[in-house]
Amino acid sequence: MSAAGAVQQPRRLRGAFDDDIYGKSLDVGQVLRLLHWMKPYRWLAYSALVMVVLSAVFAVLAPAVLGRVLVDDIVLHQQGSAFADLGQKHLNAWIVGRFHIDPIVAAGIQYMTWVLLAAAFGRGFGLTFSRAVLNTLRDLRCDLFNHLEHLPSSFYDRVAVGRVMTRVANDVETLFELFAGFGQLAGQFVPFFVAITIMFSLSTTLTLEIFPVLPIVAVCTWAFRRVSRPLYRSIRMTVSRLNENLQENLSGMEVVQLYGREQINFARYSAINNDNRINENKALSVESFYGPLIDGMSFLVLSIIIWFGGHLVFAHMMTVGSVFLFTQFTDMLFRPIVAMGEQWNIVFRAMASGERIFQALDWKEALSVPANPTPLPADLKGKVDIRHLTFSYNPDHLILKDISFTIHPGERIAIVGPTGSGKTSLIRLLCRFYDVDPGEIFLDDVDIMQVDPADIRRRIGVVLQDFHIFSGTVYDNIALGDPAITREAAEAAAILVNADPFIRALPMGYDTPLSERGRNLSHGQRQLLAFARVLAMNPEVLVLDEATASIDTETERVIQDALRKLTHGRTSIIIAHRLQTIKDAHRIVVLSEGRVREIGTHDELIARGGMYRTLYELQFQEMQAG
Amino acid sequence: MNRPCQPVRREAAPDRLEYVLRSAPPSEETRPGASPLRRLIPLVGEHKWMFWGGMVLICLGRVFEAWMPLFVRMGIDRMTTHNLNLLPPIGGILGLAAVRYVSVSYGRKYVRLVGIKVTYDMRERLYAHFQLQGPKFFARFPTGDLMARAINDLNLVRQLIGVGSRTVIVLGFSGLIAFSYMLSLSLPLTLLLVPVMPFIAGAGFFISNRIFRQSTKVQEGFSSLSEMVQENLNGIRTIQTHAQEAREIERFRGVSGAYADNYFHFMVLNAALNAWMVVFTGIATVIIMGYGGHAVLNHTMSLGTFTAFILYLGIAVQPIQQSGQMVSMFQRGSSGAKRLFEVLDYKPEIQNAPDTKPLPHIDGRIAFKHLSYVYPRRVSAKDARNIDPDTIATGVAALHDVSLDIAAGETIAVLGRVGSGKSTLLKLIVRLLDPAPGTVFIDGHDVLSLPMAQVRSQIALVPQDPFLFADELGRNISYDDPSRTEAMIWAAAEAADLEETINRFPERLQTPIGERGVTLSGGQKQRASLARGLIRNTPVLLLDDCFSSVDTETEEHILSRLKSLRSGRTTMLVSHRVSTARHADRILVLDDGHIAELGTHAELMEKGGIYAGFAKAQGRREVLKQDLEREQAQVAE
Repeated sequence: MSAAGAVQQPRRLRGAFDDDIYGKSLDVGQVLRLLHWMKPYRWLAYSALVMVVLSAVFAVLAPAVLGRVLVDDIVLHQQGSAFADLGQKHLNAWIVGRFHIDPIVAAGIQYMTWVLLAAAFGRGFGLTFSRAVLNTLRDLRCDLFNHLEHLPSSFYDRVAVGRVMTRVANDVETLFELFAGFGQLAGQFVPFFVAITIMFSLSTTLTLEIFPVLPIVAVCTWAFRRVSRPLYRSIRMTVSRLNENLQENLSGMEVVQLYGREQINFARYSAINNDNRINENKALSVESFYGPLIDGMSFLVLSIIIWFGGHLVFAHMMTVGSVFLFTQFTDMLFRPIVAMGEQWNIVFRAMASGERIFQALDWKEALSVPANPTPLPADLKGKVDIRHLTFSYNPDHLILKDISFTIHPGERIAIVGPTGSGKTSLIRLLCRFYDVDPGEIFLDDVDIMQVDPADIRRRIGVVLQDFHIFSGTVYDNIALGDPAITREAAEAAAILVNADPFIRALPMGYDTPLSERGRNLSHGQRQLLAFARVLAMNPEVLVLDEATASIDTETERVIQDALRKLTHGRTSIIIAHRLQTIKDAHRIVVLSEGRVREIGTHDELIARGGMYRTLYELQFQEMQAG
Repeated sequence: MNRPCQPVRREAAPDRLEYVLRSAPPSEETRPGASPLRRLIPLVGEHKWMFWGGMVLICLGRVFEAWMPLFVRMGIDRMTTHNLNLLPPIGGILGLAAVRYVSVSYGRKYVRLVGIKVTYDMRERLYAHFQLQGPKFFARFPTGDLMARAINDLNLVRQLIGVGSRTVIVLGFSGLIAFSYMLSLSLPLTLLLVPVMPFIAGAGFFISNRIFRQSTKVQEGFSSLSEMVQENLNGIRTIQTHAQEAREIERFRGVSGAYADNYFHFMVLNAALNAWMVVFTGIATVIIMGYGGHAVLNHTMSLGTFTAFILYLGIAVQPIQQSGQMVSMFQRGSSGAKRLFEVLDYKPEIQNAPDTKPLPHIDGRIAFKHLSYVYPRRVSAKDARNIDPDTIATGVAALHDVSLDIAAGETIAVLGRVGSGKSTLLKLIVRLLDPAPGTVFIDGHDVLSLPMAQVRSQIALVPQDPFLFADELGRNISYDDPSRTEAMIWAAAEAADLEETINRFPERLQTPIGERGVTLSGGQKQRASLARGLIRNTPVLLLDDCFSSVDTETEEHILSRLKSLRSGRTTMLVSHRVSTARHADRILVLDDGHIAELGTHAELMEKGGIYAGFAKAQGRREVLKQDLEREQAQVAE
């Protein structure tokens, strides 16, 4: 019984995630599909294969020089023996005759040549192969990213970003491990087969004597993997439980100390720690007996070679040099088997990763784009007409229910309403993040469903609450790569929205690089930057989700001033949280439970004494009470 | 369904905890300037027999291994001299293989076992150490940082002990052994090989060191790639509205291309290491061929000796090939150890005074005498980002000269704006923060003179943040003492108005919550946290603004019940709601750390000061909220 049983452990509910699914089998279709990305680099891959074969051949030739030429021919003078030497003896004789040098020196030159060639081709193989694979996966990654970049908002409403991220990063990485493993196997199997071929040609009898050891190694490796895999899995589990426990204890340390739980919690942690140690010890026992066992097998082979080889030498069925050669090959025989065992796990993980990658690549979710989109008029007045708009994320719960109202060109509209009234969904529809159906939205009398979404987004400027700061300079963040927005235009926009002073105060002014998420900017500064960005774009319609974060009065004043300039003479739809913004609006739309509850000017609605008045007063009171 | 909560075996834990705390490693002061590696020695020292025993076994294994070529030599020599007796050589090889197998596998096992044991001890030492720490420590080392130390740095240390130490000692040793065997076989040939060795060593050392540095770069590249994707997807809406997809894809192409290039460079270095090793070993082999070949021809060397030399070359080259890796394993292990000791050397800021005596009984009188508190400015600006401003405001005075006597059995409400010092006041009583001596008294005794364990067991604080653990709901309520009966849990749940919620879950008290269990609403969490405090039934109860997410009606309900439950016992409740405060015997209004007003609800209302102002604003807000709800309900119909 494990020690954790003695101490009660917390009970957690563990749900199944599709991330936990292991690849079931080797799916050839998937591998073939991956080859599609390798196509541009196929010549690299082919040359890698050629080089690995060449490298293996040379790697085998070198010991042949040592055994057959130096030992047999030069030292032992076993002339004319009928055993294979891969032409090395003739080559040696030729070199000696041609350059009049000592046969031993000639053999040294031969040996060194083959070693250099083996090293060069081995290196060449490593480089071309990894280049081909890395390029393949880089392209796969880019294609995957490209695909994800164009998935609509509705996809990201449902899926956790972290989950998508791991597909681009980790899953592709696993495929690399798989390919790298294949490369390693190729680098070992080719010499394996070359060595086996030569061994057979040197002495079939001796080769057959050695052969039974290989299945033993294979079985040992298989058994080791078999036994150790669950052990490693249980180590991973205890380790993650240890980390989970520690993390939770650190987060809740105040409660732990206040409630005097130090001893109990320590006992729990200690129990898991002990379980972990037991698991580690088990794995260690298995592991420390497997590694040396494989080494031991090579010594067994060595003694077989000397015993049977020796007797074959006495019977003149083999030369001493060949026996020597056999001892040099022992290593080449074992490595691929051991490597195969290591690869086995990766294959299954890679299959699961491949499945996840292709699932993401095959994800067909898109906004409906008309085949022949109507272009928006060049001179957009900015009239927005919303008719019988109904919307829901899931059919059971309607977010917007039959909404209709018209926004006149140049009008500034504030949308107010309690949380969950559908404000955000309404402006997301206006930006065409979703398909408008049922109901219609007309922009200057053009149904936006008939327009290319990209066209709409060029004409409607949007400032969202969670606006994104792109990595690049301040100027880049205003111009966003639009060549029409010159440096002067960007600065003018910044000046107008009061962003200029703080930008100039930055170390490098408009050329200051901003980190992603704008960590080096304050909240108010980021808001002003977003204003500058949208102003520089000069859209006919402005959609804005006002930030809820509380900011100091001075910044508040600056932002309100900027907002006034930004919306001046421009059709603006604002989800308003601030009293000033609401008051400045031409008309106010009150949403509640997905319906338009009230519409009118501030004074009208206050006079009416309905929901707006309550909301307004509540907001006012909250400001007062702090 | 309602299985009783099993009691935890409590007796075993204190021993281990005490052992771990007592056997703490010597701190920096006792061994000034000691390198982190040297400070690891006493940790290994606890298992030194196992460690050195393992090392000796591995070294023995290497000796056996280095012996092997001599038997190969014997075999080859017998073949060339037509001596048919091959039994001695293969008997020697097989015998050596067997003893080598035993010694190497046990040796490796023991050394790595020490790594496991040190990690095991160190984990508990860290855990016990964390539990002693106060807010300053956690402000300086945020949770993520502590986790990284406890996971990554500990792993580095373990690798250093379990693998790194072995490679250094053993590979160095086997190089030496091989070299001395070679010397004994042929002095001139060995001397001829000496010039090649620095090249092998140099290439091995420099390239493998660079490989390690490049691999760190690759890892960093991977995390920046993941980060970029994550950031990008978080901002996908802005990207799409501004039609920035193409630009972002271009940027990703750059990041992912740079990652591939870094990786490629890593592979290049790997391939280079292999290639150079093959080349240099080849040169050494050619030297053996040239000298040995002639020597065999001249009959000054046997063919077996020649073969043995080639085998020894392999044994001598192996450690050199891995030297860079060993060095970097040491460097990394050493920096990991440094980071671990940095945490372990931190003295707990809040400790028991040396001469604490527990009181036989606590009535529940609390007194503050000229209590002032300033949060220490000890954190660097860099760290300050990670700090909850509530726990540590940087160098801000939180309380000024607060004096107040609270009678046993009294209920006191503390009211004030955010940052007026309400929470600080409560934290000082239970010593989550340390007051100055002679400022906070419990039953007339300075709180600093009482054992911390008694203070915290007799005074229950329900903190502002209702932190619940990922465990069953019932176990969260009986958190301080798992041996409480189910009836007690239900009673506490009832007092916190939580039974209805619990009954709605099919698994009732056994419902797992948090992380991947049921997610409770803010109000439910607060009520569970309240139940966790109420179940303790302490003479003093401190409630730190724990109704903020509970609706007013439920709050009224809980408070009215609490009145009878807590009658005769001291209760302090912090709130910013007047509706909460009015239930108290007296109300203390704090303003910017000063006592602004003190009195009953009626007195303060009459006074027309801060309290009365709050009451008016909050009353109006309540009415408006109800109006809004009613109006929404109308729309819904």
